[in-house]
Amino acid sequence: MFEPKRLHPIVIVLTIGKRLKDFIFSFIALFFIWKNGGKLLLFGAIGIAMVAIVLTSILSWLRYTYRLEQNELRIEYGVFVRKKRYIPLERIQSLDISEGILQRLCGMVKVKVETAGGSGTDEAEAVLAAISKEEARYIQEYVAAAKNPAVQEVESNPAISSHTVYRMAPSQLILLSLTSGGVGVVISAVLAFFSQLDDFIPFERVFRGVEQWAVSNLIIIVLFVFGGLVVAWVIALVGTMLKYANFNVTKTEHDLVISQGLLEKRQITIPLTRIQAIRINENIVRQWLGYASVIVESAGGSVSNQEGSKVLLLPLVKIDSIEDILGPYLTDYRLSSSFHPVPKRAMLRYIFRSWIIIVPIVAAAIFFLKAWGLLSLIVLAWFTFWGILKYKDAGWKLENQQLNLRYRKMVRSTVFIKKNKIQSLEVKESYFQKRKDLGSLEAFVKVGFGGGGSTVMDMDQNDLKKVYSWFSREAKKRD
Amino acid sequence: MILEPQKRISAKALTVWKISGVIQIVISWIVTGVAIFLLHTFNGPFWISVLLIVIELISTYLFIFLLPTIKWRRWRYDVRDEEIELQEGIFIVKRTLIPMVRVQHVDTVQGPILRNYQLASVIINTAATSHEIPALEESEAEELRHFISTLARVADEDV
Repeated sequence: MFEPKRLHPIVIVLTIGKRLKDFIFSFIALFFIWKNGGKLLLFGAIGIAMVAIVLTSILSWLRYTYRLEQNELRIEYGVFVRKKRYIPLERIQSLDISEGILQRLCGMVKVKVETAGGSGTDEAEAVLAAISKEEARYIQEYVAAAKNPAVQEVESNPAISSHTVYRMAPSQLILLSLTSGGVGVVISAVLAFFSQLDDFIPFERVFRGVEQWAVSNLIIIVLFVFGGLVVAWVIALVGTMLKYANFNVTKTEHDLVISQGLLEKRQITIPLTRIQAIRINENIVRQWLGYASVIVESAGGSVSNQEGSKVLLLPLVKIDSIEDILGPYLTDYRLSSSFHPVPKRAMLRYIFRSWIIIVPIVAAAIFFLKAWGLLSLIVLAWFTFWGILKYKDAGWKLENQQLNLRYRKMVRSTVFIKKNKIQSLEVKESYFQKRKDLGSLEAFVKVGFGGGGSTVMDMDQNDLKKVYSWFSREAKKRD
Repeated sequence: MILEPQKRISAKALTVWKISGVIQIVISWIVTGVAIFLLHTFNGPFWISVLLIVIELISTYLFIFLLPTIKWRRWRYDVRDEEIELQEGIFIVKRTLIPMVRVQHVDTVQGPILRNYQLASVIINTAATSHEIPALEESEAEELRHFISTLARVADEDV
């Protein structure tokens, strides 16, 4: 394993694909801009660009070598500028293994090397785009052995020490897809795609002719739009299903390992010591059905790879079964669901806060649209309801070495943070809050490269003091 | 039982903030002047000019006199063996507690105005957040940085 090795040649195809994707829009642009001058010249130019892409892809494959040497993963690459990247094995946080369609055709896997984020650039990590499974396993074992030589025996036989934490049932997968917000993403992607084309297709000219036709065929257009939405929804549904199919969480000695995906298999490894907080999210539909998703916020990942830091641990579970599923494995955490509410006098503030944006809009609507503007009162009622919901959901609890916070922005979030993972704690009180003896609490944890805060608004001042002195190390000393 | 931070930042900070307030206000007066000139040449409504001048007068008072004073009076900090506590804010009072073990590194920075008054700001970074103690005496800032970085090193835990 000390001799330099190349990746599987399939990488060439992958690289060509990636570069073509980057260039495709410039090609299309060129195609439309190129008015004078022969088409032959244009195709010539594109042809040369293609050849260049293919050649550089092959060259970059030839140049890319990796080897394990002197407790380092040494990668050398670069066509024009030669680069060497040596990653000390003990700096490697985890190796994430995934399989794309192309990799699967050749029986290869893609290995992502995650180091501790913090250097601020994507330089800190490496990707081995296609190596054989045996090779990947060998590297995994080698890295594990280098990190803690004492447990080498156990690590080399992970089948014994790993327990299945959770496996998603097909019925849950369907429910997950039905209630996910992926539809919005697909619709906006389609819209973004059309706005990209805006410059190339003479929409205006097309539409002028269409306009008259449109008026007489309104129903067809409505059906068409509606059909489009249904298709978008189905795409999102299938997308979620493919992504989370075969979802499976296991626990090895030091890590949680998540594997998921049907066409593209992914494996995510979260070292237990890197977990910063556990978060339970419930969007309104799922909350109504009694379901929630559990997210692990970890300190891994880097700027370019944020997905390493917020990982879906349980995509969809019954809210009351979370403790049973995770309790035996995350022994440090108490995932209880009882909370101290914020005081009643805070409710008006919650309602006013959600009114701030909407009231001027409603007022303007009524002023300008007269009777029709009254319809906007429905929106106002909805925002009031939402404000009350936020008030009802806000809560906190101290549990020995753990702070539990619950609040709602769009979805209801319940966060469990260990005291020693809180980076800093803030207590805020505005003039109006002070008059009502209220204040807001915000706890920051490290999430991936940056930080993430969790805020509970308008807590009672006495409760704030409790949390504050719980977190203060000096306050305890003086008591 | 809850501790109030005691230390104030340098009294010279008030002067510095007033100076930077003056700079901001001068710039905004220039912008307003141009706007009024344009309104005048294009026969815009007169009341807008009046309104602009009134707004400018109020913000002159706010940014040069009132806000820096409140800000200075509010700013307190305390650096103890195991934690750093800050209190700041003009309208919203914010108190921050940073355990010493969470401090990753400490910087001191000094802009041109601060340098002129021998002041410096101390910036405390954790893995997730960064906090600034503005306008301390140069020597004090230096001492503080040294103190914090020594303590932070002693108490190094894994994140």
